[in-house]
Amino acid sequence: MRSDTTGFWTPVALSADVLAGTVIPARVSAGIIALWRSQSGHVAASADRCPHRGMSLSHGFVRGEALSCIYHGWSYGQDGRCVRIPAHPGLTPPETIRVTTYAVRESDGIVWVAEGTPASDPPSLAGWIPLRTLTVEADREAIETAAGASASADGLLETTRADERLCLLLSPSQQVRTGMQTVTHVLVADGCLPPVRIAASRSAERLRRMAETAAEKGRLP
Amino acid sequence: MTDDTASAQAMTDEWYPVGLISQLDKTGRQTALMGEPIVVAHDADGQALVTGHNGRRLPVKLRYGHVWSSLGTPKKDIFAIPEADQPGRRFVDVGVVRVRCSPLRAVENFLDIAHFPFVHTDVLGAEPHTEVLNYTAEIRPDVDEVWATEVKFYQPQASKSASGGITTEYMYRVPAPTCSVLYKTCPPRPTEWDVITLFVQPLAEDLCDVWPWMALFDDETAMTDLIHFQQMIFLQDRSILENQVPRLLPLDPGMEIPTRADLTSIAYRRWLKRHNYTYGAQLVAR
Repeated sequence: MRSDTTGFWTPVALSADVLAGTVIPARVSAGIIALWRSQSGHVAASADRCPHRGMSLSHGFVRGEALSCIYHGWSYGQDGRCVRIPAHPGLTPPETIRVTTYAVRESDGIVWVAEGTPASDPPSLAGWIPLRTLTVEADREAIETAAGASASADGLLETTRADERLCLLLSPSQQVRTGMQTVTHVLVADGCLPPVRIAASRSAERLRRMAETAAEKGRLP
Repeated sequence: MTDDTASAQAMTDEWYPVGLISQLDKTGRQTALMGEPIVVAHDADGQALVTGHNGRRLPVKLRYGHVWSSLGTPKKDIFAIPEADQPGRRFVDVGVVRVRCSPLRAVENFLDIAHFPFVHTDVLGAEPHTEVLNYTAEIRPDVDEVWATEVKFYQPQASKSASGGITTEYMYRVPAPTCSVLYKTCPPRPTEWDVITLFVQPLAEDLCDVWPWMALFDDETAMTDLIHFQQMIFLQDRSILENQVPRLLPLDPGMEIPTRADLTSIAYRRWLKRHNYTYGAQLVAR
């Protein structure tokens, strides 16, 4: 498992969960970022802070091809440049006003974000399709113990629950206020039928409970 | 005296709101002032009493519907609001809104009009009327207060009594580090100003109780409706104030980018720094 994710792709969300014209908060090792999809379908990621008055951009709104801050409506393009300051409609914002952006890729139904410049593409998830994302209040090790399997360097953990194959795609564990947290994407075999998907979803929830129970016991004095 | 103690002392010696006069009782309100637990009550004779750590008696004043106190020794009286003595006005105790933010950020937000279309949508502002026209902001040396004048903004519903969109004129005044007085176009009486104040009680550097108070010419609207309108506005502001980073107000340039619309905020930050009013502020050197 890599502890430094700079230059590596972090799976932050399912493509299906980032609808056109919306912004959501997502977690990378640097903290929370604003992940958004423009009206035309382009996904972009930026720092979660408007440089004007420090407001969280993931609380903002998307119109057309820009992300806007909810406080004063300052708008940013996918390249992070400020394109509009509503208090001064006639002003072209200076180039120096910008938000930090992150590299984004979409592949196999997953949105990947990198803080540096990765040398390679995100890992292939051929044969799997994403089902849902769970935020597990436990570290990767607790999830591996609960699943009885180890994750690969890419964070892929394959296991068999009730005769069905299940794959978990684990983001690097993060220290948050309440303890360790691991964003976990649940994948199922491509082409499987709805009852199998429902069973896989339940299995993943059971794994989460096991990992969280173990993590909670570990925190007790 | 080091800079740190000088700045701590500057704000310690100010008056702060700590409760409503109308809600004083014998049991007392357990609250805090700049990190120190205090109790606000009235004694057997009905006199307001503010007690600090180890039972020490703190200074008390009753003004503008509120009980005021201080952890230090105030050198000045509470700032004057002449309109509070003007006949015909209705005085509205709006109550309290607790906000997880710096008391200084709460005041700065009150001084800002550019957020109206986005935070108070269709009430205090609405797109496409987002432009902030030139106005004047200054630190007045004779009174040592921050003033902003000739502030104009289009408002769909400027107040509870407004029946349609109007261009409202504002004047802002900051007479104390955590207090602001707003003078606003008064629809029923064009020659007068409505007065809306923001009194902020600093509980900690990143936590405050906001006590809005109003002195209005409005004999029509029910008191409950006036309070609800103002509470709605401040709850909308809270959703912003609790999501700003950093929680403390940055006083040094570089951390945040102001524009011409932020002249009042620039003057307010400069005035705070000049007076060492830095409780709730972030300085680079810190």
